[in-house]
Amino acid sequence: MLTRIAGGEIVDPVNGRVGKGDLWIEDETIVAEPSGRQPDVTLDATGCVVMAGAIDIHSHIGGGNVNTARLLLPEQHKAHVPRPATTPLSKVGWTTFETGRLYAQMGFTTVVEPAMSPGAALHTHLELADIPIIDKATLAILGNDDFLLSMIRDKASPIMIEDYVAWTVASSRALGVKVINAGAAAAFKENVRSFSFDDVVPFYGTSSRSIVKTLQAAVAALHIPHPLHVHCNNLGIPGAPDTASETMAAAEGLPLHLAHLQFYGYGTAGKRGFSSEAARLAALVNSTREITIDVGQVMFGQTVTISSDVLRQFSARGTANPKKSVIYDGDANGGGIVPHNYRADFYGSLQWAIGLELFLLIEDPWRVFFTTDHPNGAPFTTYPEIFELLMSREARVKAMEGLSKRALALSTLPDLTREYTFEEIAIMTRAAPAKLLGLKDRGHLGAGALADIAVYRKGNDIAQMFRSAALVLKNGELVVEDGIVKNYRWGKTLRLKPTPDKAMVKRLEAYHQERYGLSLNWFDFPDSAIQREQPFSEVSCNA
Amino acid sequence: MTVAWIGDRGVPVADAVKHAAELLATSLCPVFSFDTDVHGTRAAIALACRVGAAYDQLEGEATARETAQYTDKGGMFIAPGEVRRRADVVVIAGELPAAHYDLIAELANTVPDLDGETSKRQFFLIGADTPAPGNVKATRLSCEGGIEAALAALRAQCAGRKTSREVAHFNHFAKALAEARFPVFTFCGQSLGPLGLEMVQGLIGDINRKQRASALHLPASENGWGSTQASTWTTGFALRTGLARGYAEFDPWRFDVARMIVDGEADLHLVVVNDPKRVPLAQKGVELIALAWTKKPVAGAAVTIAIGVAGVDHDAVVYSSRVGTLAAIEAKAPSELPSAAAVLRQIAEYLPHEEALPC
Repeated sequence: MLTRIAGGEIVDPVNGRVGKGDLWIEDETIVAEPSGRQPDVTLDATGCVVMAGAIDIHSHIGGGNVNTARLLLPEQHKAHVPRPATTPLSKVGWTTFETGRLYAQMGFTTVVEPAMSPGAALHTHLELADIPIIDKATLAILGNDDFLLSMIRDKASPIMIEDYVAWTVASSRALGVKVINAGAAAAFKENVRSFSFDDVVPFYGTSSRSIVKTLQAAVAALHIPHPLHVHCNNLGIPGAPDTASETMAAAEGLPLHLAHLQFYGYGTAGKRGFSSEAARLAALVNSTREITIDVGQVMFGQTVTISSDVLRQFSARGTANPKKSVIYDGDANGGGIVPHNYRADFYGSLQWAIGLELFLLIEDPWRVFFTTDHPNGAPFTTYPEIFELLMSREARVKAMEGLSKRALALSTLPDLTREYTFEEIAIMTRAAPAKLLGLKDRGHLGAGALADIAVYRKGNDIAQMFRSAALVLKNGELVVEDGIVKNYRWGKTLRLKPTPDKAMVKRLEAYHQERYGLSLNWFDFPDSAIQREQPFSEVSCNA
Repeated sequence: MTVAWIGDRGVPVADAVKHAAELLATSLCPVFSFDTDVHGTRAAIALACRVGAAYDQLEGEATARETAQYTDKGGMFIAPGEVRRRADVVVIAGELPAAHYDLIAELANTVPDLDGETSKRQFFLIGADTPAPGNVKATRLSCEGGIEAALAALRAQCAGRKTSREVAHFNHFAKALAEARFPVFTFCGQSLGPLGLEMVQGLIGDINRKQRASALHLPASENGWGSTQASTWTTGFALRTGLARGYAEFDPWRFDVARMIVDGEADLHLVVVNDPKRVPLAQKGVELIALAWTKKPVAGAAVTIAIGVAGVDHDAVVYSSRVGTLAAIEAKAPSELPSAAAVLRQIAEYLPHEEALPC
C-alpha cells in the first residue's frame, strides 16, 4: 500500500531535511516520492511537525523487578483507575498493555528496558511481548555475576571474557550490555555497605573500575553497537560527581554510556551539604567525546524506584514512601524496589533543576539522551512536560516560581536561556538513540527507513502537542490518530545474535552443573516459549 | 477419542467451545479458578477481560497469603541459586510442601562455595510440629504456642528482650547466627499466616542492621506464583482480581472465588486444572465449565473439555522454585491434547469483541 503524509513540516536531521513537504510510505518502508503513482491513502499533516518515531533508550518497562514493583504497590494502581487525573502514579503505564498504549500515543515507537537479569530473561521477554504496538529491546546486566568476577580474578584472557559476554547477550536475547554499580551487589552479599569505583569486591579481589574496563573492552571487541551502559557507583549520594568523573575518565577513548547522570549531580556545598554540580558534569561530558549520557530527569510526585543497584536500594529503604520495600539478592545483581515521592522541597527542587541543567548545558544533542529513568526519576508519561521545559524558557521560569528558592540559588538553571529546537529534539529522541543502539532502520525519515513516524500538531501548548500525537505510524500501519490508539498490533523485541563459542558453552554447562546443580538449559529458552509469531528481530553487530 | 462434552454427551471440541462461550456471554457473574501454566493464565485473564470475570488460584488461600506479604509489607528475598552457594545457616520457618524437599535435600548435600573457605551448612527448623523436609538434620527451635509464637519469641530473644516463653536451643541458634556469613530463612504461605510471614521478615530486617540475611520464598503452589506474576504484568494486580466493571480491581476478600461461590455471588465457575478430581463440586445455580486432563466428563459440569498437562503433553512456561523465576519446559510426552491456553483463546474468539485482548 502506498501512503502519503502530505504537507507537514518534516524534521529529519539525519538526511538534512527540514521544511514543508510530503513523506511517502510503501507498506512498512519510507520511500522516495514515486513518479506517476497515486497514493492509496493520503494523511493530511498540514500544520504538523513530522518526525521519525521516538526511541527511549532507558525505561524500566518490564521484567522481574518491574513486576515486583507492581506487586508491591497495588494501592497506587487501584487509586488511579477511578481518579486518573489526580492520584499518585496516575499515568505510570502500570500494565504491559498500558505501557504500549501510552508510549504510542506520545509518538514513541521503540523503547529499551535497560536492566535485564540474564537468568530471568524469559520473564522479561514474556512481559515485553505483552507490550503492544511498539518495538522493545533489553540490555543484559553483567558485572556482579560470579562467573565474570571469577574470570577477572583468575586473569582469564580477553577472548574468554568476550566469549562469555557473547553467550550472555545471545542467550538472553539482549541488544547490549549494562553494568550496574559494578561489583557492589557481590560486595553487599559480604556485608559491605558502601562501594566506590576503586573499592575491591571481597573474595574476588577485583575493583569496580576493573570490572567496568573489562566489560567495556569486551563490548567493543564484540562490535556490539551500543557502548557499555554504565550505572555508576554511589548513585544519589552527595559527592557522587567525583565518582561520575572518575568513571568518565576511565573511558580512555573507548565509547561509554553513563546512565541517568542527574542522580550523580549532587555536590556537598551549602549548609545542607546538597548542591548542584551539574555544570561540572556537563563540562566534563562536553570535553569527553567518547562519553554519552542520559539524564534521568526528576519530576514531582509519587513514583517508585526500581533498580538492580541492590546496595543503593537497601540504603534507601528507610525513605520508602509508602513505608514498604523489596530487596532481592539475586544470582548476580538482584534488585530493590523502594517507592518514593518527589516533593517540591529543597532536595526535590534541586534534583529537578540538576536534570534540566544537564539537558541545557551539554551542548551536543547527539550525546545527551532524553530519559527520566522511568519510573525512577518520574513516570515516562511526564515526557511531554519535560519537552516543554526544554523548548521554552518561559515554561521553566513559570515552573521555578513554585520551587525552593534556596535550592535554585545553588543551581545555574535560572540563568540558562537555551531553548531546544524541533531539530534538536529530533536528534536527541530519534536520530541519536538509533545511532547509539545501532538501529540503522529507524530514527530518520530517509528512503529505506522503517516507517515509524510521529506527526505532532503544532500549537502553543508544547506539552499537549507531545502528549497526543496527531498521527503515529508503526511499520507503516496507522496506529494512533488524534492521540488515541486506533489499531493494536504486536511489535518485536530487537536483539543481537552473536554466535556463542562452543567451548564457552561447554564450560558454562559444567559450571552450572557443578555450582548450581542445574543444566544450562534452565537459563535458556526457545523463541517458541514466548508464544507470539516471530517475537524477535535481529540487529547486526558493527562490521 | 472423545475430548469434549456438553453435560455427559460427547461432542466435537468446537461445539463444546461454542457452548462454553454462550454460557459465559449470558453469565451475570462469572468466576475463574485455575491451576495452570503462565500461558494458560494469560489466556484465562484475556478471557476474563472479555467477559468481566473475577479470577483466582484454585485453592488459593496460601498463594493469597504469600501475595499479601508483598502487597502489604514487602521484605528481603533471595534467589535459590544464591542460597545454595552462599547460605551457611538455613532456617526452615514452617512446614514446606513436598515439592520443595528435593531442594532442601540438595542444600543439605552441598556446602556454600562463595566465601573461599571450607564451609559447612547448618539447618534449623522452627515449630514443634514442623516436619524436617528431605530428612534433613536440623536443630528444632520451638516453644509453646505454635510456630508464630516461636517466631515471635525467637525475634525477641535475638534482640535481647525477655520473653515469657523461651525458645528451645536458642543459644545454639544465637551462636550460629553470630558466626554466620549469610543466614537464610525459608518461608511458605502454606504453613505461615500473615503474622508469621511478617515476623520472619521482621527478624531478617533486624539481622540486616549489622550483618546479612534474607528469605527464600518457596511458594505453596509454583503454578500459583507463576500465575501471580502473569496476572501482575497483565492487569497490574495479583490474583483475586475482578474485571466486571471494565477495568481491573484487586480485592483479596471480594474476589476470593471460593467465597464468591459459597456466598452465592457467582453464577458461572470456569475451572482449569490438570486433575479432574480437584474440580470443585458443581453448586446449585452455578454453571460449571471444566478444563481438565480427563477422559470423561466432570460430574455436574455443563461443559468439559480435555486439556493436556503443561510440560507433559505440551511445552510450557512455569514458575520454578529451583531457579526462582519463570522457566521453559519441554513436553515429556507430546500429545494431541490442546493446552489450556489454546482452549481458552478459542472460547474468547467466539465472544463478541471490539477491543484487542490485553495479553
